[in-house]
Amino acid sequence: MSPFITIAIIAVAAITAAALKKPKDILGSAWVLALLGGVSVFAYTVPVIFNPAARWSDDLWLLDGFSALIATMVAFVYIAATIVGVRYIGHEFEEGVVNAKDLKTYFSLIHVFALSMLIAVMANNALLLWIALESTTLSSTFLVGLYRKKTSIEAAWKYIIICSTGITLGLIGILLLGYGSVVAGIKGSDIFLISALANNAHLISADIVRWAFVFIFIGFGAKVGLAPMHTWLPDAHSKAPSPISAMFSGVLLNVALYAVIRFKFITDSAMGHSDWTNGLLLFFGALSIIIPAFMMLVQNNYKRMLAYSSVEHMGLITFALALPPIGAIAALIHMVGHTLTKSALFFGAGEILLEWKTTKTEKVRGLLKYAPYTAILFLLGILAIIALPPSALFVSEYTMFVNAFALHPVVSLLVFAALSTIAFSMLRSTISMFASGKEENVPTEMKQKWNITHSVIALQLALLVIFGFWVSTDQGINLINSIAKDAIYISQK
Amino acid sequence: MSQLIATLLQAAFVIAIAPFMSGIVRMCKARLQGRKGASPFLPYLTIATLFKKEMVISEAASWVFRAVPFVVLATSVSVAFILPLLFVGGKLASLSDFLIVGGILMIGSIFLVLGGLDPGSAFGGMGSSREMTLAALVEPIIIMIFATISFVTGTFAIDGMVGQSLIWAHPYLLLSVVAFLFVALAENARYPVDNPATHLELTMVHEAMILEYSGPYLAMVEMASSIKLTVFALLLSNLIFPSTVLGAAGVGIVSIATAFAYGIVKVVIVAALLALLETTIVKMRFYRMQEYLSIAFITALSGMVVAIFAVYAKIGITYYAMFGALAVFFVIFLFGHARSQAMLRYYALSSLAIAGIALSLSFIKEDEKTHLWIFALVTIAVKSILVPRIIRSAQKKYKDVIDPRSFLRPASSYFIAVVILIATFFILENTPIVGLVEYSSLLYASIALVALGLATMIIHRNIFSEIIGLLVIENGIAVFTLVTVQSLPLLVELGVFIVTAVSVFILSILSARIRELHGSADTEQLRKLTE
Repeated sequence: MSPFITIAIIAVAAITAAALKKPKDILGSAWVLALLGGVSVFAYTVPVIFNPAARWSDDLWLLDGFSALIATMVAFVYIAATIVGVRYIGHEFEEGVVNAKDLKTYFSLIHVFALSMLIAVMANNALLLWIALESTTLSSTFLVGLYRKKTSIEAAWKYIIICSTGITLGLIGILLLGYGSVVAGIKGSDIFLISALANNAHLISADIVRWAFVFIFIGFGAKVGLAPMHTWLPDAHSKAPSPISAMFSGVLLNVALYAVIRFKFITDSAMGHSDWTNGLLLFFGALSIIIPAFMMLVQNNYKRMLAYSSVEHMGLITFALALPPIGAIAALIHMVGHTLTKSALFFGAGEILLEWKTTKTEKVRGLLKYAPYTAILFLLGILAIIALPPSALFVSEYTMFVNAFALHPVVSLLVFAALSTIAFSMLRSTISMFASGKEENVPTEMKQKWNITHSVIALQLALLVIFGFWVSTDQGINLINSIAKDAIYISQK
Repeated sequence: MSQLIATLLQAAFVIAIAPFMSGIVRMCKARLQGRKGASPFLPYLTIATLFKKEMVISEAASWVFRAVPFVVLATSVSVAFILPLLFVGGKLASLSDFLIVGGILMIGSIFLVLGGLDPGSAFGGMGSSREMTLAALVEPIIIMIFATISFVTGTFAIDGMVGQSLIWAHPYLLLSVVAFLFVALAENARYPVDNPATHLELTMVHEAMILEYSGPYLAMVEMASSIKLTVFALLLSNLIFPSTVLGAAGVGIVSIATAFAYGIVKVVIVAALLALLETTIVKMRFYRMQEYLSIAFITALSGMVVAIFAVYAKIGITYYAMFGALAVFFVIFLFGHARSQAMLRYYALSSLAIAGIALSLSFIKEDEKTHLWIFALVTIAVKSILVPRIIRSAQKKYKDVIDPRSFLRPASSYFIAVVILIATFFILENTPIVGLVEYSSLLYASIALVALGLATMIIHRNIFSEIIGLLVIENGIAVFTLVTVQSLPLLVELGVFIVTAVSVFILSILSARIRELHGSADTEQLRKLTE
């Protein structure tokens, strides 16, 4: 099965949403088609993950363990976010927060957005990857600015301007890399194929590759949300509808990071060593952990808090990548764990937002009393994201810090301190929402029921724990290891 | 002997065809405006009729008034003898020193001015004063243009300049030719400087001066201006297509016939183009004349500066480098401008220059020809036409004139732009890429465009400038593509263009919404989200 089937299904989904008239039909068709599209991705990515022999690449697509893993994650969060989105947007539509036109925009664009991410991770042509990455920005701009409020539009504006500029700079890097291969005497369409670039990397001039990677790292790093290019991220995450925030945080950042990682390893093999890229990644990774730590201490908005936590986790993954030799394994585990946890948390935040109609932490009181299911799942999510065992994030952070303290003790200590600060501030604001408070700060409805969103969150948290245990087994670690090898030696035998 | 014949034939041809030139311009103009128009041969009849008519001369007029038509006609005719219009190397070719020609033309204008002043009528004086203002501005430009060409060709004689086919070999001379076109319009009292078809008090310049003339004198003055127009038309086309001018030595029947045929073709084409120009643009206000002529002067001056630079620094200036420089210059102008329409215009021009780069590269790299042509065409279609149109239509919804306020005044903006350019130069000097890239001048241009685009986004605090800044960066990358990997797969390239168009579309919708909600386009207002 090739990715074209997915493209066809998701294109049909987007057209269906645009063509249908009744909001009820749009809501009903959206999740069925998303499920179909997502399952079609699983159909060819899951075998690739578990069976190294099934990995393949051609002129258009590159499906090795790494891209298959990210594609699976994208498809998973896409299904989950659409299912949650049907409830979330449907609820807001009933309350009149969004009108029928916005609902239609939302459900047409969410498919295009997911499709762009899928193409970006499966593309073998670097320029196709670039186009797909840019179209993730373009297709999600109106999703961020869905609520026609001043702040939403402002967030959408910042998002598109910073990310477009960044990705445009990334194009310079890709072109330079292509030029490097032209200079090295590589002919034809091979100059932009990621697999061919990886194979021929040793031929390419290290100087050109170094410059190319600077552009790619800074450019795509803006989309990853690495500090100091992260400014769009808290705004976009806090103003977008919660399912979209979940997709942003859970997979979009990973997709951009996927591109950075691909080019990092090409750069490494061109330069013959990985010290230079590791230094770059270490610096920006540590910065992206430390800056959010300060921002989260003074944060009084729970969605922004989660957004800053995403910056921090992207920083952690980047930091882990800079730690040879087992850093890549830790980074992969962390990516999967973060995707599951953070999207669950944003779904939970959406539930809180629906009941309390505010994102201010101080105005949310009595969470445990009025929304017990949301409260408990949200708390479990927070505990998981601050890497308490048995969360899979504990496995990854433990792995990376064992390595990091040996390699860079001072930086590791700083990062560790920052992580503790973050854990403290996240727990503090979550617990404060549990406390009882004034009448005005609690919703009018009594006792909420168990709904589909809770099931999705519970499923994700369960998966997280299972994944955490499974990667600790021999079989699990071997599989992650083979995927990490794919990330490093892109389709090289 | 043959040189003498050639010179005589040339003068006879020019004098004979001059009224036809005026006539055909009028006819083309009429056709373009939807009228039938008179026959192109009408001016012959007009002049013949005027010669038969009686003259009315003011009692206040002195001998100067009577001398003027003779002097003016004589200057025009003598220019027709001297300049290489149909043949180079004629009998009087040695006289065609550009200072002499300029002087002869100046005598004509001065006498025309005196003729306007002499009878003491109000209109004549007004026309004369206007004409002198213009002449004072035009004269240095003409000298600058021909000084540049003579510097490159090593000869003062216009004859020698035309004789060597240098324009296409030295792209910067195109700047001089463009300046010459501007000046030719001013010298011949055509649009946008003067309207030859009006006797409106507010606008007329040339017509005001000759208002007092009648009968044979008027015929002579009219004839003189027709000859002058023909001479300029032929000279301009000869500068651009020097191969169409035949040598005067050993002239025979065949070559005479060819030369006449070329002459007629040139006159008709130039006349048609002039008519087209005069129907598409409007006459400028007289007080904006200095702007128009300043543009001409700057163009001529930059031609000269580049020429001197190229000769003394021994750098071969190539077409793609010139277009690259133009692309950057337009962005610098964009940088200093505050009006959104002006910014869009300069963006479109800059994109046009990038299409020019692709075209000039297509002549160097034969195997990439079709690809580069497609690139150029798509660039023009998307970036020079489609993108500005999308932005304008988005702006039209909100009629308020948006001025992208910058926190710098234009002068300091230009200063910043120059600093950026210099910084780009020195940063790139120290990178290893420069030595590797084949067209390193374009590399400078592309990085400069990217840097200027980023600066536009930062300095102008306005949503509109952020769009333009992003587009300029995108343009820089387009140049970068041309420099490095020349052969992008066509589909991918189209994908990039589509991405550009779509992002402009989204950005303009978004900016319209921002204006709707915030009531302003100032990004200083976008400060709500800070926590």
